[in-house]
Amino acid sequence: MKTIGYFLLFFVLAMIVIFLVIVMGEAAPWYFAWIIGTGLLILTSAAAGFLFDTQEEKSKGTPQ
Amino acid sequence: MINDTVVELSRWQFAATALYHFLFVPLTLGLTVFLAALETVYVVTGKPIYKEMTQFWAKLLLINFALGVATGLTMEFEFGTNWSFYSGFVGDIFGAPLAVEGLMAFFMESTMIGLMIFGWDRLSRGQHLIVTYLVALGSNLSALWILVANGFMQDPQGAVFNPVTMRMELESFTALIFSHDAQAKFVHTSIAGYVTAAIFVAGVSAFYLLRKRHMELAKRSFRMATIFGVLSTIGVITLGDALGFVGAHAQPAKIAAMEAMWKTEEAPAPFNLMAWPNQEKQENSWAIQIPYLLTPLLTHTMDTKIPGIAEIEASNALRIKSGIQAVEALKILSSNPSDAAAMAQFKAHEQDLGYGFLVKRYAPEQDVSKATDADIALAAKDTIPDVFAIYWTFRIMVGFAFLMLAFFIFGVIYSLRNDVENHPLFLRFSLWLIPVPFLACEMGWLTAELGRQPWTVYNLLPTWMSASSHSVSYMVFSLIGFVSLYSIFIIIEMYLMVRAIKQGPDDHHAVQKQDKNTSSGGSVLGGNYAPVHAKTLVNEQSKEV
Ligand code: HEM
Repeated sequence: MKTIGYFLLFFVLAMIVIFLVIVMGEAAPWYFAWIIGTGLLILTSAAAGFLFDTQEEKSKGTPQ
Repeated sequence: MINDTVVELSRWQFAATALYHFLFVPLTLGLTVFLAALETVYVVTGKPIYKEMTQFWAKLLLINFALGVATGLTMEFEFGTNWSFYSGFVGDIFGAPLAVEGLMAFFMESTMIGLMIFGWDRLSRGQHLIVTYLVALGSNLSALWILVANGFMQDPQGAVFNPVTMRMELESFTALIFSHDAQAKFVHTSIAGYVTAAIFVAGVSAFYLLRKRHMELAKRSFRMATIFGVLSTIGVITLGDALGFVGAHAQPAKIAAMEAMWKTEEAPAPFNLMAWPNQEKQENSWAIQIPYLLTPLLTHTMDTKIPGIAEIEASNALRIKSGIQAVEALKILSSNPSDAAAMAQFKAHEQDLGYGFLVKRYAPEQDVSKATDADIALAAKDTIPDVFAIYWTFRIMVGFAFLMLAFFIFGVIYSLRNDVENHPLFLRFSLWLIPVPFLACEMGWLTAELGRQPWTVYNLLPTWMSASSHSVSYMVFSLIGFVSLYSIFIIIEMYLMVRAIKQGPDDHHAVQKQDKNTSSGGSVLGGNYAPVHAKTLVNEQSKEV
């Protein structure tokens, strides 16, 4: 149940983000958006990796 | 005299080679960017597991890249061999981006990939990271140029037809590159590649998690891929909307076909969630509609009129009549370029020139001045593409987008809780999902290219005029040759990929050591997670590197 709750929450959030971007950028400078967006995507995915390691360290009780 | 069978076969050949080629491209576009993220973590944390992950996924990228280049090479030449009239007509505009694409792919991208694969022991960490970023940039930039070229075919910007040279000439390179269609198309396609890579990495990681092999690599890859994927899917949907918005202005017939909209309806028009289009009767046999939705979805307003197919066909018949005037003037100009009256007539009807070419196909002796109303009606009918195919290929692409979004959201939730390995059904589903983004990409191309018919260059050059004058037997022979060769390439790719995946990462002793110590891990969503201080964690193993 909790998983479904989180799913719905994240799905609604995703739809709100999509809606906002659509409303804000009809014929936007997409090349520019791509460069910035790809950079942020790389950093966010990298952050997901850091977070994983942090969780692992924490669960093993490694001092931080 | 142009042979319709040769034109059809040329279309089949291009479609087949392009669709095969695009089975390789999106993974390269996305995996290179994903590698940049992986290596960033390696360089920042110094943990060898991330180096191993980067090398493993780079090995799969290399297999895919090699076959992608092999299938792409032939396509560059196909424009000249099978579409020679097209190449002559728009070569000034099309040639430049195509050449830059070739240079980018074969020099920047290939060189950087070589450095990335073989440079681990020769470059410092920082230098290698820069190379990996350049691989990501290079692969996407080479796609940019071919998409700029395709953007020109969809919405020709930055060029004019010269009635003296009888060819299109480049007027503004900036307008060509920065056209709205090219911009949205490039970003949509590039991000579609990111989504493809994310599903691929998540699926292969799920395979390892199911088999309980290479767990450290698989869990980390799965985590990063799902975050990468959820953001990319949001991006691809957003840019899909932008493409539809651009198309609504530039290609009304394609948009009407994508939405199976036969008649113009009062704004705000209803959205055909599901429909069964019947081209002959120009109606939907059945449809499930959501009232008021289409107008805001397509035009981002509530009151803009969206023309239906019947209206588009009727207005195109008028454009054909005007186009006939342009073609007739052109005939005079071809023998006497200084004829002022003919030039004035041409200028007055220039914007409909392509429509004049359309009716040539049906006019007696291909002389447009002899075209009857019946010929004009036939040519006007041709301006409506295959509604059934376009409606459904578009629907499948969009359906897959939401399926993948839902998958990634579940993936992120399970991964953040660090218990994805305890959901075997979900993991199995991840594996089954691997073909989905590839199919979505193929559907996207079918939508874009079928929707552009009957034009190779929208509103300017009809497909039937664009082909070379080969014999039917030559076309059949080369089509069979290409399909057989490319099928062999696909089999080789599958074989090499499956073998490399079964083999797993080359050096996993360090990982196995970690595997033994691994417990279930903390969970962000579960609440038993506390953020660390912002200092970099340097794993003891990093000192081994
Ligand atoms: C709600 C989701 C989506 C929408 C609204 C959408 C919209 C579109 C449109 C309108 C086109 C035609 C462009 C043209 O006429 O030139 C297109 C093409 C394409 N789409 Fe999508 N799309 C969506 C999702 C996806 C997904 C998930 C993928 C793949 C992972 C994808 C890959 C492609 C590709 C490869 C093309 C052909 C190249 C291009 O024209 O950009 N699309 N899409």
